[in-house]
Amino acid sequence: MGNAVKLSGTEVAPDAWIEGVESAEFKTLIDAKQRSIVPMIVIYIIGYMGLSVLAGFAPGILGTKVLGAVNLGFVLIAGNYIMSWVLAVVYARISANRHDPLVKVVVDMAQATRGAR
Amino acid sequence: MNLITVAMFAAILLISLGITAWAARRTRTTVDFYAAGKGLTAAQNGFALAGDWCSAAAFLGFTGLTALYGMDGALYAVGPLVAFCTVLLLIAEPLRNTGTYTIGDVIMYRMRQPPALAAAIVGTIVINLAYLIPQMAGAGLLIKLLFGFRYDVSVVLVGLGMIIYVAVGGMLATSWVQIIKAVLMLGAGAIILFLALAGVGFDPLVFFASAEAKAGPSFLLPGNLLKNPFDEVSLGLGYMLGLAGLPHVMTRFYTVPDATTARRSVIWVMFLAGAFFACTTIFGVAAVHYLGPEALRVGNPGGNLTLPLLAQYLGGGKDTVGGQLMLGFVSAVAVATILAVVAGLTLATSGAVANDLYVNLFKKGKVEEHQQVLVARVTSVLVGVIATLLGILAEGVNVAVLVILAICIAASANFPVLVLSLFWRRFNTGGVIGGMALGLISSVGLALIGPAYLGPNAIWPLVNPTVVALPLGILGAVFGSLLARRNHEHEKRFGEVTFRVQTGLRSNHP
Repeated sequence: MGNAVKLSGTEVAPDAWIEGVESAEFKTLIDAKQRSIVPMIVIYIIGYMGLSVLAGFAPGILGTKVLGAVNLGFVLIAGNYIMSWVLAVVYARISANRHDPLVKVVVDMAQATRGAR
Repeated sequence: MNLITVAMFAAILLISLGITAWAARRTRTTVDFYAAGKGLTAAQNGFALAGDWCSAAAFLGFTGLTALYGMDGALYAVGPLVAFCTVLLLIAEPLRNTGTYTIGDVIMYRMRQPPALAAAIVGTIVINLAYLIPQMAGAGLLIKLLFGFRYDVSVVLVGLGMIIYVAVGGMLATSWVQIIKAVLMLGAGAIILFLALAGVGFDPLVFFASAEAKAGPSFLLPGNLLKNPFDEVSLGLGYMLGLAGLPHVMTRFYTVPDATTARRSVIWVMFLAGAFFACTTIFGVAAVHYLGPEALRVGNPGGNLTLPLLAQYLGGGKDTVGGQLMLGFVSAVAVATILAVVAGLTLATSGAVANDLYVNLFKKGKVEEHQQVLVARVTSVLVGVIATLLGILAEGVNVAVLVILAICIAASANFPVLVLSLFWRRFNTGGVIGGMALGLISSVGLALIGPAYLGPNAIWPLVNPTVVALPLGILGAVFGSLLARRNHEHEKRFGEVTFRVQTGLRSNHP
């Protein structure tokens, strides 16, 4: 590892990325990540920006009473807290159970390539 | 002067200085200084993130805004939690995998061209100073109020504290100061929540009904603070994307050993800080219920004294030991909060100056390790002194606009550049410069001609320009990339970049 730069916090994998990037395993990882992350991004953007747009342009709708003095606006705000927490837990589980093992496969493969050289 | 505040604050200060001395012995290399040796656990970094992200604007401000303006205050409080969805899904792990100490590291790794790094440095410094100055000014006012010192003396004391934390103890001391502050803040929040709810038989709905009855039927509607509907949208956009562009929060992900720990630390902060933000909404309506809207408006500009006043009331009232104790506790935590946040900001700014500007841009990385640490320490002292001077100069100036501005620039300039650097093959140095320039100039320009700065003479109607500046920043980044000469070698390297973004493995391929 003559010209390995010490900048990185993790392993140095000389040239291994060429095989790594084009491997089926890496494509599987990217697909798996996109399939879970993209829908989550859509959910929270709609959930939160929807609330912001309603607050700006439809204060009357948010003022609809739901539970005693509590109106729809505060219910949606509470919904945003719950949405964020649920997304956090779901993402943590999906990454630990699905993404991390796939990352490990790719990393092991890249390091094996390095070892062979 | 409240003796209990002084005693509690002195205790917090002594513990913090003890930690700094302990951290100093463990801070020898640049990894120690900038990233606490990359040795924090997920829980530790989660608490420290909560410490970083809950500035006095959150601790005192959200409660006050809710008490004075109803639902708009609650909208201010929920945004900072949703912001972490962006960080969790798009930024935390890629950033940890790609950078070393700063956001500039990520840009430089992707672009390998000095002008791109220079643009990133400008972004970080402008955002941090815009964030730092109001914090210094706020700290000065708070200490003046609590201890009776002069304003400039108060600011200097805060500056001195943060310089010692950062220059001597580096990221390890800064992190632990944040952790302690977060524990105290959450503890104070839990006590206030319990006492407040105990007064109404643990039925928070009573607060809402009572607040509406006392403050008027429009109190629970949006728009009491943000009159222009586009300002509500700007607030949402700024929070949702701005946090991911704030250097002093993002550099926290370099303090953990790997991307998995970075992710778990985000989960921690989302529950810790999120719970606290939710509580500020309860505190706001509870304050109206217990104290009434008139009592809160007197001598309480911006509502920043609402939480201390509520704590005093719940402790038993003005002339009781319990009331004094609660007021003292909350005030001491507020000072500790500011001190911890300015320390984090100083450290992140020093990273941009010492690591990005001096070591990587001027010296092309050719600086000895021990010299880098020395440069970092000296830089943090300089940054601290400059921040203190600016804080003194800011006396009497309306600096609230600067916090909005910092988040607006972070969302409009830093965020697009960071995300496109990580995920867009065609992105290049032209895009970094275009995005940074257009995002920054439109944010600053529109904020300066808006009502936050010019008041009733405003030329531009929005307090928060994010709704316009963010699209401009994205356009600048995209068109800057497309206009710059296409470099196929650079685009071919994107495979390597993606591989590192996803796995943390670094190639030494030329």
